[in-house]
Amino acid sequence: MRRLLILLLFAASFGFGFGGARAAGVADDGVHLGVASCAGNNCHGAVEPLKASRVQQNEYLIWAQKDKHSRAYAVLKDERSQRIARNLGLLNSKGEPDAENAAICLDCHADNVAPDRRGRQFQLSDGVGCEACHGGSVGWLGIHISGGTHQQNVQAGLYQTDKPLERAERCMTCHVGDDKRLVTHQIMGAGHPPLGFELDTYTAIQPAHYTVDADYVQRKGRPNDVQTWAVGQSMDLRKRMDAILDPKNVPKGLDPELALFDCQACHHAMDQLQWRPRASTGLGPGKLRLYDATAVMLRTIATRVAPEVATELSTHMLALHKGVGEGWPAVQREAAAVKQLAEALIPKLAAHEFTKEDAKALAEAVLGLGVNGEDLDYSGAQQQTMALQSIVAAMQQLGFADETQIKALNEALTKVGETVANDQTYRPDVYVQALRQVQAKLPP
Amino acid sequence: MLGLIATPAFRYAAGVVGLVLALGLRPAVAQAPLSPGEPRAAARSEMQAGVHIGVATCSGGNCHGATERPHGSAVTGNEYIIWSTRDKHRNAYRVLLEERSIRMARALGLPDAANAKLCLDCHADNAPPDRRGRQFQLSDGVGCEACHGGASGWLGTHISGATHQQNINAGLYPTENPRMRAEKCLSCHFGDATKFVDHRLMGAGHPRLGFELDTFTAIQPAHFAVDQSYVQRKGRITDMQVWAAGQAIALIKRMDALLDPKHSRRGPFPEFVLFDCQSCHHAYDPLHAPHPTATGLGPGTVKLNDANAVMLRVIAARVAPAAAKALNMHMLALHRATTEDWAAIQREAAAVRQAAEALEPALSRHNFTREDMLAMAEAVISIGSPSADSQFSHAEQVTMSLQAIAAAMKSAGYLSEAQAQAATTALNSLNASFANEGTLRPDAFVKGLREMQLALGVQAGRVGQ
Repeated sequence: MRRLLILLLFAASFGFGFGGARAAGVADDGVHLGVASCAGNNCHGAVEPLKASRVQQNEYLIWAQKDKHSRAYAVLKDERSQRIARNLGLLNSKGEPDAENAAICLDCHADNVAPDRRGRQFQLSDGVGCEACHGGSVGWLGIHISGGTHQQNVQAGLYQTDKPLERAERCMTCHVGDDKRLVTHQIMGAGHPPLGFELDTYTAIQPAHYTVDADYVQRKGRPNDVQTWAVGQSMDLRKRMDAILDPKNVPKGLDPELALFDCQACHHAMDQLQWRPRASTGLGPGKLRLYDATAVMLRTIATRVAPEVATELSTHMLALHKGVGEGWPAVQREAAAVKQLAEALIPKLAAHEFTKEDAKALAEAVLGLGVNGEDLDYSGAQQQTMALQSIVAAMQQLGFADETQIKALNEALTKVGETVANDQTYRPDVYVQALRQVQAKLPP
Repeated sequence: MLGLIATPAFRYAAGVVGLVLALGLRPAVAQAPLSPGEPRAAARSEMQAGVHIGVATCSGGNCHGATERPHGSAVTGNEYIIWSTRDKHRNAYRVLLEERSIRMARALGLPDAANAKLCLDCHADNAPPDRRGRQFQLSDGVGCEACHGGASGWLGTHISGATHQQNINAGLYPTENPRMRAEKCLSCHFGDATKFVDHRLMGAGHPRLGFELDTFTAIQPAHFAVDQSYVQRKGRITDMQVWAAGQAIALIKRMDALLDPKHSRRGPFPEFVLFDCQSCHHAYDPLHAPHPTATGLGPGTVKLNDANAVMLRVIAARVAPAAAKALNMHMLALHRATTEDWAAIQREAAAVRQAAEALEPALSRHNFTREDMLAMAEAVISIGSPSADSQFSHAEQVTMSLQAIAAAMKSAGYLSEAQAQAATTALNSLNASFANEGTLRPDAFVKGLREMQLALGVQAGRVGQ
């Protein structure tokens, strides 16, 4: 809950909290029966759980009441969306803005499967509903309600959102983008809010509609927040490199796909004298900078888990930044190298058992990025803040810190969250001060 | 280096603009034929070669450092005093020693801004060492000869009571000629082939450049008065001509920069300084969502700074309608080309340059009538209205253009005392609507436009609709 409060600060200032999750099937995953087929009060819409149930059964209620995914479609009808639609020329036959019928919007703001894969109770207006993430249930609903094991459900087609890698894949199709769905700079320029994402944090602030209890662990294994974070970072970086390599995003004229770049590299006031050298980019002042906050995170994680990859990652990220000033072929060459490194890290991180010593070391390393001035860009500060929240959650779970210590850490993190709540009022020195307070509260 | 429109310094300077108008320092004088005084090629090369003998050689009490008009002098004689006490050109070198410049030098990897050619080329009269006289001091900043040319060749003629034309023939730079003034000022206030504030310098902390020739002439403040003697010696050059020529030359220089392989393209990306600063440097406020429809560009694209082109179009629409159409067409094509390919950009930039070049002589010589002035004021005001393309860069040029038009109307005797006063008030309102280097307060700006409309007696148009 604490994390929810901290992150709502971001969400409130950016309005990026409503972003949809994955929607239209990456592959054909069967017919989507609709939210109504899950929401029964003996199933996932119960006010109190049945005795024999292994889950809380209030999953639908949490989603419907607290989760912004349930409003992903509704938001397409609000004033801002109408403005975006008008700017993009998405109009109906009467010439009115029409976001709620545009595939470009629906692909992430609803469970936009093909019409022949929509069941009788399916409603587009349910937004990003159950099957948008868990997969079309026509194949597995029967087994699922007959008390099949998790593994049996998965075999019948239930998507494995419990696995960090699969979860990252699914969430990031929309929250980062893929070859079919990318919130391009055109869409941003029309008024779409920027996307900010970190897998573990966003799992927590949905809010999660599951509880990790003994039963969950027995059925699905024990999740580790640091691992979810780490796998999420590697997937994030891979997807960003995919976007650079996508032929659709090759610069046209003087017009690169600006969504690949760091928002605040350009979107800042001109009176702040904000430029400072960053060893990890090697860029001089006045340069357009590729978004690299997740690359910096992944390097930090790799330094602990796979040091040889970390060094290579640094080298190729530097070359990638340099490549922007040389030409798109250089950018693509280095993006391919970075992608390969990120891809190689994914299984390593998914298999690595993150210990409390790892959590401590990673917390220190992430704090160091800010405190030592290595990456004080707004995007960096934002990722560092979310990373620290994930690491502290893991510390609690791994028994590294007691309840009082966790409480103190979370209080200090709330203050950090406040300093990164708004990109226009973000001040690196204030942020560093807040980080130092977290540093002081880390148990020895 | 000079006051920027958005800074408090500019607002102060704009107060001076108001003062100029209010006090009638530009009195209406009898019409005289314009003799632009084109310098001969030989004189120009001599000018290049002249030794810069230093501010001290001009500032004598009997010359340009006089507290009272020297007996029999054609000028007031206080030019040096105005420059040294009120003109920021005087501080151009000193500013290189300040904290901000130290910080910029560090970011650029320069050991010392005050010794770097990159900085000195515009922050001082950086003539080569073998062309610096005994009394020359770099620390004088942008001194007399930075604009008027090295005086070794013409000082003798000049102090012997030669005519203005003789001085020019001997190497004096003809700053009174609108085109020549524009060339000289813009070589730093926009840049040229050898001097250019590129985006790297901006990123390191250099302030944004904002410029309009007539306004910046006035707010220096000008160290000349257009009186009978001036008109007799140099011809009657109006604010309208200075404004118009300034816009044409600024656009030509922008196109030159775009076509210059040195700073137009690095890697796949353009030299950002040629684009509209606020096209990128804005907060992503959902209500902002800049949508420059008049350019034909869609959302999320970076727009070339076209404020000079827009102003030039307004002027040309009245003076040379056919040329205005061609300019408009090629500007649209240029905007479109920025999302296409480099060859198209070069083609259209060359066409825009040609259109501006063709327009300039007509504009510099045009005898602007009262009707011209009113029509242009109306057109400029409607560009500033938010229903059109209300953007910082446009608003900035709108404000300065209205200054030029109001000054021209005042000089020509088309404004009553009360109207001139009201125009001054309107200019102050317009200037105050610039919150800082990047933020315009639209409501305050529209209010200023309405005030200006009333002050000049412009037909009620579509302001603020």
